[in-house]
Amino acid sequence: MTTPQGSNQGSSANPTPGGAAVGATGAADVGTATTRMVTALVRLRQALTDVVLPLDLPGAAEQRASQTELVAQLEDYVIPRMTTIEAPLLAVVGGSTGAGKSTLVNSIVGSRVTTPGLLRPTTRSPVLVHNPADAQWFGQDRLLPDLERVSHSTNDPKALQLVASESFPVGLAVLDAPDVDSVEEQNRLLAAQLLAAADLWIFVTSAARYADQVPWSFLRAAAERSTAVAVVLDRTPADAVQTVATHLARMLASRGLKDSPLFIVHEGTVSDEGLLPADNVAEVRGWLDMLAADSGARQAVVRQTLEGAVRTVSRRAHPVADASVAQAQAVTRLRHDAVAAYDEGLRAVLEATADGTLLRGEVLARWQEFVGTGELLRSLESKVSKLRDRIVNAVKGKPQQAEHVQVAVESGLELLILEHAEHAAERAEAAWLQLEAGRGLLQSSPSDLGRASRDLRRKAERAVRDWQQDVLDMVRSEGEDKRSTARFLAFGVNGLAVSLMVVVFANTAGLTGAEVGIAGGSAVVGQKLLEAVFGDQAVRSLAERARKSLEVRVRTLFADEEVRYLDVLDNLRIDPEAAEKLRQAARRVDDARYAARIAGS
Amino acid sequence: MTSLLQSAKKSLVSSGSDIGERIDGLATAVDAAGGRLSDELVDEARTTVERAQGRLKLSADHTVVGIAGATGSGKSSTFNALTGLELSAVGVRRPTTSWATACVWGTQGARELLEWLGIPDRHQTTRDSMLDTRREGQDLDGVVLLDLPDHDSTEVSHHLEVDRLVVLVDMLVWVLDPQKYADAAIHDRYLTPLRSHDEVMVVVLNHIDTVPEERRESMVEDVRRLLDNDGLHQVPVIPVSAKLGWGIPELKAEIAKRVSEKKATRARLEADIRTVAGKIEAESGSAKPRSLAPARVEALDDAIAQAAGVPTIVDAVDRATRMRANRATGWPLLSWVSALKPDPLKRLHLDLGSAGKELTGRARTSVPAPTAVQRARVDSEVRALADDASTGLGKAWQESVRQASVTHIDDLNDRLDAALGDTDLGASRLPVWAGLIRVLQWLLILAAVGGGVWTLAAYVSGTLDDSSTPHVGGISVPILLALGGVVLGIVLALVCRILVAGTARSRARRADDRLRSAVSEVAQDLVVAPVQQELAAYSAVRHGLDRALA
Repeated sequence: MTTPQGSNQGSSANPTPGGAAVGATGAADVGTATTRMVTALVRLRQALTDVVLPLDLPGAAEQRASQTELVAQLEDYVIPRMTTIEAPLLAVVGGSTGAGKSTLVNSIVGSRVTTPGLLRPTTRSPVLVHNPADAQWFGQDRLLPDLERVSHSTNDPKALQLVASESFPVGLAVLDAPDVDSVEEQNRLLAAQLLAAADLWIFVTSAARYADQVPWSFLRAAAERSTAVAVVLDRTPADAVQTVATHLARMLASRGLKDSPLFIVHEGTVSDEGLLPADNVAEVRGWLDMLAADSGARQAVVRQTLEGAVRTVSRRAHPVADASVAQAQAVTRLRHDAVAAYDEGLRAVLEATADGTLLRGEVLARWQEFVGTGELLRSLESKVSKLRDRIVNAVKGKPQQAEHVQVAVESGLELLILEHAEHAAERAEAAWLQLEAGRGLLQSSPSDLGRASRDLRRKAERAVRDWQQDVLDMVRSEGEDKRSTARFLAFGVNGLAVSLMVVVFANTAGLTGAEVGIAGGSAVVGQKLLEAVFGDQAVRSLAERARKSLEVRVRTLFADEEVRYLDVLDNLRIDPEAAEKLRQAARRVDDARYAARIAGS
Repeated sequence: MTSLLQSAKKSLVSSGSDIGERIDGLATAVDAAGGRLSDELVDEARTTVERAQGRLKLSADHTVVGIAGATGSGKSSTFNALTGLELSAVGVRRPTTSWATACVWGTQGARELLEWLGIPDRHQTTRDSMLDTRREGQDLDGVVLLDLPDHDSTEVSHHLEVDRLVVLVDMLVWVLDPQKYADAAIHDRYLTPLRSHDEVMVVVLNHIDTVPEERRESMVEDVRRLLDNDGLHQVPVIPVSAKLGWGIPELKAEIAKRVSEKKATRARLEADIRTVAGKIEAESGSAKPRSLAPARVEALDDAIAQAAGVPTIVDAVDRATRMRANRATGWPLLSWVSALKPDPLKRLHLDLGSAGKELTGRARTSVPAPTAVQRARVDSEVRALADDASTGLGKAWQESVRQASVTHIDDLNDRLDAALGDTDLGASRLPVWAGLIRVLQWLLILAAVGGGVWTLAAYVSGTLDDSSTPHVGGISVPILLALGGVVLGIVLALVCRILVAGTARSRARRADDRLRSAVSEVAQDLVVAPVQQELAAYSAVRHGLDRALA
């Protein structure tokens, strides 16, 4: 029986003589070109590893997988292959579970090197068969660095079993990979990694398998990056071979693999050793022997796959860079949202402490109790009321009154800060929830970002008290030399401090309507009082300082709240420069590729 | 311990409960969850409900058995072996079967069912048991056997057809074969997600003839192991060879057994409902339905009342009553002075009198706007209320309760203003006794003036100390009248101040009560009711799920 595609095998295997034809002067050029290429590829690998895509943006998962694949392919195959272009050709036998990969490898080698089995999936750890003379090429330092080399059969998927066989030709090695489609996820990942490290794929399929979706997605990827592929149709009943082989050949042609040789391995009685009769695999073995013997053809296969891999890597780096840009943009937007939410909260607090609104309700009531009754507010300067204040204060005990105002100020400010912090947290959360990336971050964050932090109440209390202490200190130091004046004595440090606070709360000129009547009125009293003691210039600077001090404290509180959001973003460690670096590295690889082509031609 | 009890309860109840009841339960849960839980989940649940309702309307005598599997596993051969006819094309070119083929035993009522399944006439065959002379044909009476396309070939349209039919059939026969039984395509995409449907699934290991005899048992065991990994412990594995007819009678018997029990349809629907209800429960949370704590609502009312300025108004009522009543009952010669002071209530635009109201329509009050601190207090009370109401509920519910609690918060000021403006403060009319006192005061003034005039006249005529002027207790009546009128008037005014203070306090208290009930009504409308609505929805979902999962 003739293979429909079998006759093509030679033509696909040596399209150009490749590096063998390069002259003596060209060799030096090729050498520098290769060095340049290796440098560019190492840089590209670094740039790829530097890109992080932690946010769940649309398509990010895809690019994340692509990034890992690219890094793995560069490390496992492209860079090592580029540095040692003369290494033996590595043919990876891959395919579905149950298609007969292991039996095929054993039969090609001619002895049992890997364990076939009926129970699926069979091969769990890969086996590499090579000629003893080629042993130095397959060390862990060169190929597939993260697989440990072992010399015995194992089931550890992180190990690579090396088998040296005299019967195998020099210059060629065969790797039995796990399946690409079984329930063992590790098998699938390892198979993908091994196939990415192959110079040549020997893809095994069977009559029941040849139209499966999963292996075809691998074949399509191989066609895309022009990896050299040979297809073996295995385990096919004799009466179905003709139909199946024709259909398979058509499928290969229609999916861009028309140059791939197709071999047919007929079903035969498997010996006790687990080998098919030598005749059945003679065609495959003969082709491999021929490839091993013809170094030109071998180089051509290697170059085809390697060039395809380099081209694909540099091309696929760009979508990863795009994804990285998208991530950086998302982070910028999220940061902006969080900052805006907290800025608004901070602004609201500062406004409320300055526009006199704080001077109503509780604070106002206590303040009026302190300076006298509300009814007589306006006539404070008149002697009667002064006298009356004195009497009232003497009877009621002034320090206590001042403390009442302090307490009222404290609770009002605290509530204001807490509420606006809660609001800001909510606003920031709502903004983040609108983006998928933000949703993911909120879900994975250990604390509830939608609420103010737990110890904010304590911190706010502390800040307000500290501020009051500050104001007291200001008044005390300002009044150092006025200690003895009658007015200072009459109101005491506490009283003056409270007046200063009230002046601060009604500091802005933007009061309107009723607010001037209430807040302004009370503040005027405080202002008059302070001016009487310190003089108006001093009062202005005191009020300014007290106000600054309050602002600084509130700002710190809000910054601490805001930082919870910003920390989440900072912990992602997204580098906005990474994308550009990656693009540059990819471009450099392209440049090196053209340079190599010119040097090589 | 509780979970043990729960599971015991579940299994006891499930034996007697009705599938219609479960569907209803799920349907109510879905209706209540709409817009609150995630849309995909709600849509999925709604589809499940519709599918279950659709299936229940159709023939209960038929059981739809779908034969599914990978390409080349021998679905069509198995189908042909079961029907005894060469109905489905068998071939070596993959994929072979492109559309679903049906074979029906017993046509009564099957037409609508096949229409519902979307199997066109040309892909249907009938095996009427009356005409079928073979005995086993009767065993399969009421079976609608479907040969599905593959789910793993390069033809994506086949996958879609399989995905469509797998959710519709009552019972599934998965055909595996020695080459493909460990494929991720079948385990990860179908068997594991259908974990809860193990009651209505059978797994067949076809092509057993290609396996050496001594290895068959270990292979079946391996299939068993993979199924156990998928969580399908109940599913039987039947080794068959469709080509040679091995195991086909066993498979037929297994199908016939399930069909004759007529439980497959229900079991399938139940499994569907249980799966989706479980998903809803996972998102919705399993906490008991809650109601709002009255103390929370009171605290909220209080905060809103403060912010609305109720204390200011009450204070104004107190002062206005005092001022007006004092003016009425005070000593008339001095009380006009107080008229110079502004009326506190009028200042707040709360008591403009009927003329004023007519003029301004429903005027806005001039109660001072809530301060930042008061607003903050209202907000934090609203938040506390929402938090309290949603403790223990799923994240989605916490969010929806929170949303509901603040949706109308912007209307709060307007509504409060209107409510306060409309409230009758009961301060406009003077108390009746004040009117009487006023008359008395004027009488006393009259007496004093009369006494004065009389005294003056008597003094001028010199008869002041005469016996012609009456004397009481040695003091002449005119003087007594004049002095007494003045003194009594002042004393009366002073006494009345105490009475007025009492009246003012009681009026203030009454106004306070009325205002607070108005505020509480507004709070109920804008905050409490929406939150309660969410809680009611949660409770509906919870009860629905309880019924669906019972």
